Amino acid sequence: MSPPTKVELKPGAYKTDLKPVWCPGCGDFGVLNALYRSMAALQIEPWNTVILSGIGCSSRLPGYVTTYGFNGVHGRALTLATGVKMARPELTVIAVGGDGDGLAIGGNHLIHACRRNLDVTYILMDNEIYGLTKGQVAPTTPIGDKTKSTYWGNPEPAFDPCELAISTGASWVGRGFSGDMKGMTELITKAIEHDGFSFLNAMSPCVTWRGDDEFKRLKAMHQKLPEDHDPSKRSNAIVYTREKEVMTTGVLYEVEVPTMIDRVEAIKRDAMGDKPAPSTKEILKTFYPSF
Amino acid sequence: MPTRDLTFAIVGSGGDGVITVGDMMAQAGASEGLHVMKVEAYGPQIRGGESSCTVRLSADPIFAQGDLVQVLVVFNWADFARFRGEIICAENAIVLYEATDETPHDQIDLGPIEEAKWVPVPFIELAKESAGTTLAKNIVTIGLLSELFNLPRKPLERAINKKFSKKKKEVLEANIKGFDAGVEHASKIEEAATGMRLQYTPGEPMLLMSGNELSAVAALHAGCRFFAGYPITPSSEVLHLLSEWMPKVGGYLVQTEDELSAIGAVIGGSFAGVKSMTATSGPGLALMTEMLGLASMAEIPAVIIDVQRGGPSTGLPTKSEQSDLWQALWGSHGDAPRVVLAPADVEDCFHATVAAFNIAEEAQMPVIVLSDQFIAQRRETLSMLTLDHEVIGRQVPSAGDLREYKRYKDTKSGISPMSWPGMKGGEYQTNGLEHLEDGSPTSMHLVHEQMNAKRYRKLRAVRAKYSFYRRYGAEKADVGIICWGSSKGPVKEAVQKATARGERVSAFVPQLLYPFPYHEFNEYLKTVDNVVVIELSYSAQFYKYLQTFLNLPEARTFVYKRSGGKNLTVGEVEDKIQKVLEMGALRREVLV
Repeated sequence: MSPPTKVELKPGAYKTDLKPVWCPGCGDFGVLNALYRSMAALQIEPWNTVILSGIGCSSRLPGYVTTYGFNGVHGRALTLATGVKMARPELTVIAVGGDGDGLAIGGNHLIHACRRNLDVTYILMDNEIYGLTKGQVAPTTPIGDKTKSTYWGNPEPAFDPCELAISTGASWVGRGFSGDMKGMTELITKAIEHDGFSFLNAMSPCVTWRGDDEFKRLKAMHQKLPEDHDPSKRSNAIVYTREKEVMTTGVLYEVEVPTMIDRVEAIKRDAMGDKPAPSTKEILKTFYPSF
Repeated sequence: MPTRDLTFAIVGSGGDGVITVGDMMAQAGASEGLHVMKVEAYGPQIRGGESSCTVRLSADPIFAQGDLVQVLVVFNWADFARFRGEIICAENAIVLYEATDETPHDQIDLGPIEEAKWVPVPFIELAKESAGTTLAKNIVTIGLLSELFNLPRKPLERAINKKFSKKKKEVLEANIKGFDAGVEHASKIEEAATGMRLQYTPGEPMLLMSGNELSAVAALHAGCRFFAGYPITPSSEVLHLLSEWMPKVGGYLVQTEDELSAIGAVIGGSFAGVKSMTATSGPGLALMTEMLGLASMAEIPAVIIDVQRGGPSTGLPTKSEQSDLWQALWGSHGDAPRVVLAPADVEDCFHATVAAFNIAEEAQMPVIVLSDQFIAQRRETLSMLTLDHEVIGRQVPSAGDLREYKRYKDTKSGISPMSWPGMKGGEYQTNGLEHLEDGSPTSMHLVHEQMNAKRYRKLRAVRAKYSFYRRYGAEKADVGIICWGSSKGPVKEAVQKATARGERVSAFVPQLLYPFPYHEFNEYLKTVDNVVVIELSYSAQFYKYLQTFLNLPEARTFVYKRSGGKNLTVGEVEDKIQKVLEMGALRREVLV
């Protein structure tokens, strides 16, 4: 008997029946559609994949994909992802969320996930605002902007998420634009393929709280990385952060370095040697007085 | 007249080697089959500052620390003063103190005793003369104590050899000289120790372990293969031990950036199908509270060990208290079912932790093991465990279930088969949002009511299956003590003493705190005339918890509660028993 022919998964195969709660025109639709295409391009098996999120508009995404999904609590997507990946390294693990979720309440987890170079893909859907709670300032909102919580204008400077990820140890950092479906699909595909922590700053405009013109504004600023960009050097990548007049997309930074899982597996090999795992009794016996 | 039971306390500054003395005495005792309990106490300083070590050695089984110190060794009275009211001497205790410390005796508070045998010992001089360094004064002490009180001599010598075997030969030789100097000095003061030589028959070596160590080994025994934790006193030994052993059994461990991440990683690991645990103390549990709600809502097994210390806030980080009870039981936004187990002694930390994993898998919810510093960090002897514990795995969906899989299927028991990533057909979305049977979010009141009922219904199975409690003393009692956790030790010993005097006293110690074991409590209450609730919580959290679920006989219920920072003593318990036997004097005194 010949093995059953493998059925090719089309982008639509990753779509659940759940209708997204997002506003018409939300940038998150573009990211979600790009994700479907990337998963189809990589023929990712939904049952061997987990998508985890925190809280926010974009964090609803796991419900719209046919993989295992986990819509957790605010700011903690990467903590859940750490557990999933470390417990089951063979799984494909993707974390998603917004800029408030990932950079404000969850900022501490982001820098440590970068530092560990945990083999997880993190898609930060960045709309420079809090959408779900109806329009408050975010750590990515430009200085001076008026929001629901900055009546007189935002007094705080913004993060550049890519700069943060590059400087804290992520081994793959990219920026995409949800208005550029082809580019976003390529970037998500590369991010998932990368071994190590891949951080994708997915610019995903909020038409409700940042105005109808937000797409147009970003589109006008959008440019691609030059063809000859060498992403292996941190200094090259940093040039494309804290941009004011333009928004450059592409793979800013990419290096091959050992991941958290590589290092932990090496420790396990050293600790176990070629011996079988000790029994509980053997472990207890080490607590007899020894001299 | 020899004795079968001796309690020692050694007090000094951080650098005095006090802990080494206690360690060696405990190890030597355990190797000879003596029953040993060793408790360390520190100030909050990392180095320097006061430190004390209390070691009880007994030929017979013991359950408590030993309230009253019979042999006190003090290198420095200023350090001793910082343990005022915590280290209390027995009548006629022998006090061996550094001869050069001339603090007047009337300025020293040994406790409410009439007489003590004050014996100045030139520890510093003896160490200098024999070993050439004052550093050896703790080894001099070991020699002295060994000779005066008939401690196991050969094992102590072997312990010294081992400790210094990796150092230069001269260092080892110097310390052996120090030990011998201590032995020799004993002959000059042996009169003071008359009647206090330990009498015992050497037996098989015993394990010498702490509750934290047993919790860690229990986790491995129960099949835990992922641990995420953040260091916090007094729970860190669990993290330390697992960092050594987890990789050896093929598991993973991560020290996270904070407790939020630790509990998140545990929930993630468990969601992915691997038994997962964290260990923390009160402040860490506070940070984990939001995600305990997530584990309740998303029905994900998780084991959390909370080693209680004095609180609130940073409180007394190195000392025990029983004041995380409400936080463990009710610390939550929303209605968030969890199970709370309380080990009652060191060995119990093993059994409770294994049970916690079983219950977590069966009921798919967080299980808190509410330990405390007193049982978690003290070392005591125990026999090799039988290890016949049942170990329960996850209830996964059948092939039939997977055809139209509903992760949160509303079953009769409330428990729904749980798939894990890798199971084709088992894909689902889990959610901190209220959700339908398939996991998709909803805000509908009717679904919320139905799903709350489902989640709480799971506790029934836990209550029906598990009956964890201890009961001691008379079948029918005039005084029945209800306590929990580490209070059990002193209470058990007090009940045994009272029983030996012919008093009708009993004790009931629930180890399953929530879901509330109504049946066991009510059966017990039928057997007692007066109830004394004993706990180390200033606001009487345990008593108030009992009031929530039980009709305690109002006129016949007494409460003895106080702050932690000092472990419960047998003497305190005996005193309260007497007061109740003498017609309720206690009630006016301490009822909150």
